[in-house]
Amino acid sequence: MSSATATATVFGSEVPQPKQHGKPGGIMRRLNFVTGMIGGLGLAIVAGVVTNMLTPSGASTATFAPAAPDYVYLAVLLGWVIGFMAGIGAFVGPIRWMLGRDLTHADAEYMAGKDLGWKRYFKFTTDHKVVGVQYLVMTMVILGFGGLLAMLIRTELGVTWAEVFSPSFYNSLIGTHGIAMIIGMIIVVMGPIANFIVPIMIGARDMAFPRLNALSFWLLFVAAICLISSLFVGGVQDGWSVYYPLAAQAPPGMLGYQMTIIVFAFSTGVASVNLMVTILTMRAKGMTWSRTPLLVFGVFASALMGLYAFPFYQYSQILALSDRIFNTSFFDPLEGGSVWLYENLFWLLGHPEVYVIIIPSAAVLMEIIPVFYRKPLFSFNFAVAGIVGVVALSGLVWAHHMYMTGWAPAVNYPFMLSTEMISIPVGFLVLVVIGTMWRGVVWTRLPVMAVYAVIFNKMIGGVTGVYLSDVPVDQYMHGSMFVVAHFHYMLMGAGLFGAMAGVAFYFPKMTGRILDERIGSIGFWTAFVGFQITFGSMFVAGLQGQPRRVLQFDDLFNLSNWISTIGAYTIGLGMLIFLGAIISSWMYGEVASSNPWGSKSLEWQTPTPVPLENFEVLPVVTERPYNYGVPDPYQAELDAVDGDLEKVGK
Amino acid sequence: MSAETQQPLYPTTGEPISTIARRAKAGLWTLIVMDVSGTLALIISYTYLWSLNVNGGWAPPGAKLTYDQTNAVPAKSDATFAAEWPFWAILGIVILATIAMWFGYKEGKRGNQAGLIVGTGVALLITIAGLVAQWIQISTFPFGSGNGAYASAVLLLCASNIFHFGMLTFLLIGVFNRARKGLINKAVHFQAQLMSYWMVWICIAFLLGALCTTFLVVSPNTDPAVFGSFTQLK
Repeated sequence: MSSATATATVFGSEVPQPKQHGKPGGIMRRLNFVTGMIGGLGLAIVAGVVTNMLTPSGASTATFAPAAPDYVYLAVLLGWVIGFMAGIGAFVGPIRWMLGRDLTHADAEYMAGKDLGWKRYFKFTTDHKVVGVQYLVMTMVILGFGGLLAMLIRTELGVTWAEVFSPSFYNSLIGTHGIAMIIGMIIVVMGPIANFIVPIMIGARDMAFPRLNALSFWLLFVAAICLISSLFVGGVQDGWSVYYPLAAQAPPGMLGYQMTIIVFAFSTGVASVNLMVTILTMRAKGMTWSRTPLLVFGVFASALMGLYAFPFYQYSQILALSDRIFNTSFFDPLEGGSVWLYENLFWLLGHPEVYVIIIPSAAVLMEIIPVFYRKPLFSFNFAVAGIVGVVALSGLVWAHHMYMTGWAPAVNYPFMLSTEMISIPVGFLVLVVIGTMWRGVVWTRLPVMAVYAVIFNKMIGGVTGVYLSDVPVDQYMHGSMFVVAHFHYMLMGAGLFGAMAGVAFYFPKMTGRILDERIGSIGFWTAFVGFQITFGSMFVAGLQGQPRRVLQFDDLFNLSNWISTIGAYTIGLGMLIFLGAIISSWMYGEVASSNPWGSKSLEWQTPTPVPLENFEVLPVVTERPYNYGVPDPYQAELDAVDGDLEKVGK
Repeated sequence: MSAETQQPLYPTTGEPISTIARRAKAGLWTLIVMDVSGTLALIISYTYLWSLNVNGGWAPPGAKLTYDQTNAVPAKSDATFAAEWPFWAILGIVILATIAMWFGYKEGKRGNQAGLIVGTGVALLITIAGLVAQWIQISTFPFGSGNGAYASAVLLLCASNIFHFGMLTFLLIGVFNRARKGLINKAVHFQAQLMSYWMVWICIAFLLGALCTTFLVVSPNTDPAVFGSFTQLK
């Protein structure tokens, strides 16, 4: 490069360097979480005050509510997002690029957190391992927040003899719990595990775009604060789907929801771009698609679905925000808008989002089972076909959420068919897990026990999902507690418990410690039992006819709700124990070797803690990742198949 | 040195520039997929509301404005639909900028650094002109933001154009500046190439908007669903 004035040794090569401006890192040395908070809060206050001064008195919104609270709150939210991102240094990279002041290798090493110790977790750090740990902590905070709200909801529903919360606060608990948990579940595998593990798993030194990686995490942080802030200005009172026209009449807290989704969708988009490009272009030499671990397939599939589907959700909220602030009428039938437009845009993400959550969780299971059964994976091709099938069908099922809305009844049955069809590729994934277990000798540890729990939950969630996908059944079940129980079995029972299996499995690589098996198992199984009590009973309440999102109900449903509430507190207790196991193990746990499970995939071949550059010399892959106990993998697989055929007499 | 390392190396990772370019190209395609989805969301919204004409509220009321709200963008005249030619004029401006960018990229690839700088500079100036033109169009629409579904859909399409123009301006300033400093040159030209690709997609996005606002103006639904007044069927 023409402006090069010096060279640096980068992985053994002398590489020309651009001019170094000051110390490595430049202005990024001064920017961190504290400057981000100062920037965010400062700009939020200034924007709020100025907007309040500029808003004419008496201005009203489209629903004739006073406009000032909406305008001021929106200004505060924008100020917070822009100010925080500026304060933590998110704009430094693009501005340096625009000015032509490229990073040197020393700059990049500083930004990756080299020699920064614990401080690197509070900066705009680009190292994928740091971002993975940041995501892990953030995920636990978001899920903990959502879980706390769930406890409050169950408290209200369990105390059938009194009203604990006001109806509007109860509604905002429901809505905020819903969207917090959805966000938490979307990132629970794609954040910590995909960011930390996938680059090492494919033999790369980092993600394709390290700054985008940091950007995606800190956008998530500012989005989460937007959501929490909404609780103080009326909350999200219309469920996580915030259907129109309810959303138009909602208090200003709705703007917090809308800003959360707009920012979170952007965060997810850039994370998806980064993961997909990393997987497509940075796999190690020899890592053909048939030698690529299934977690990588799962993460790629999830990123792809998020990439095409999230913008629809994002734009549904942009249009909704425009209706509220600029008096446009996308969703206002009085002026030519349509609430069905909102519902379509919303569910165009809303249903692929289920697979965005479940596919990476299922992929984690397929990584765990061969390791603990010391057997090759049962049909790698079936697993890939299952993932591809889910991705292909994921965009064709959204309207099964709208059977009863009156939108295009003629398409109900095609959507019923597509929804039932998608259970086939999902079934492939379960089949691969069970097929791998078949006649194996298991090394029973926490991760593999979690797999059993997930299979159990997924069966119940999947079968009840088939019921609900049938139009005639849905006529009776929609809007009932049965639906709530069903999607909790899928999202929490399969998604979250799968992610817990993943956390237990990858914990030694991520933290350098072994997760306390005894305390972790107690927590896990307590949560599992509580889960069955809570949602099993909720199925009963749903079948009895209890509607969801309703504060007061008939005495007929009391018993089911008491049992559900006891179960919910049991889940809470179990999760607290599991969290305690994570924290205590992270701080004082047994030091892990580099490969405590004896896994064959690449991420376990690196030292623990993983060095900054992951690999001093990039690896070359020569075999499939699941060839356990097989001296000559290909011949042995053929022999095994021949042997099985002989036994059945063919 | 192997043959692979004889080409320029990326300063931060020491990888060949071709590797970085390949990565950046994949990133661009995925970003385009994301932007296509977002643009489609707007196009679907436009066509959906156009086809339904709910409550007969698709067209702006013009002089018959009866529902006076606090319009963020107030109505300017009695006319209803927006003039079509400005959409095409703005599309023409973007196409011109794209041609200039492609010229700059091709010249840079051939080793003509001055051509690269001129091409990107002209593309930048045209883009800024487009941004101004887009702003003028928005501020002179005959309708306001509260004047029905058509007005809403058109305004958001134009807002999307403004967003794209803003991004283009930022990126073109960067590409122009980097070309000027020699950071984009004959050997390292992938950023100019990607910019050209991106601008082609932007032209397509603008074209989709112009097609909608030209050919899907008056709603075909002359017997629209009416919500808000319920009468007993006899």
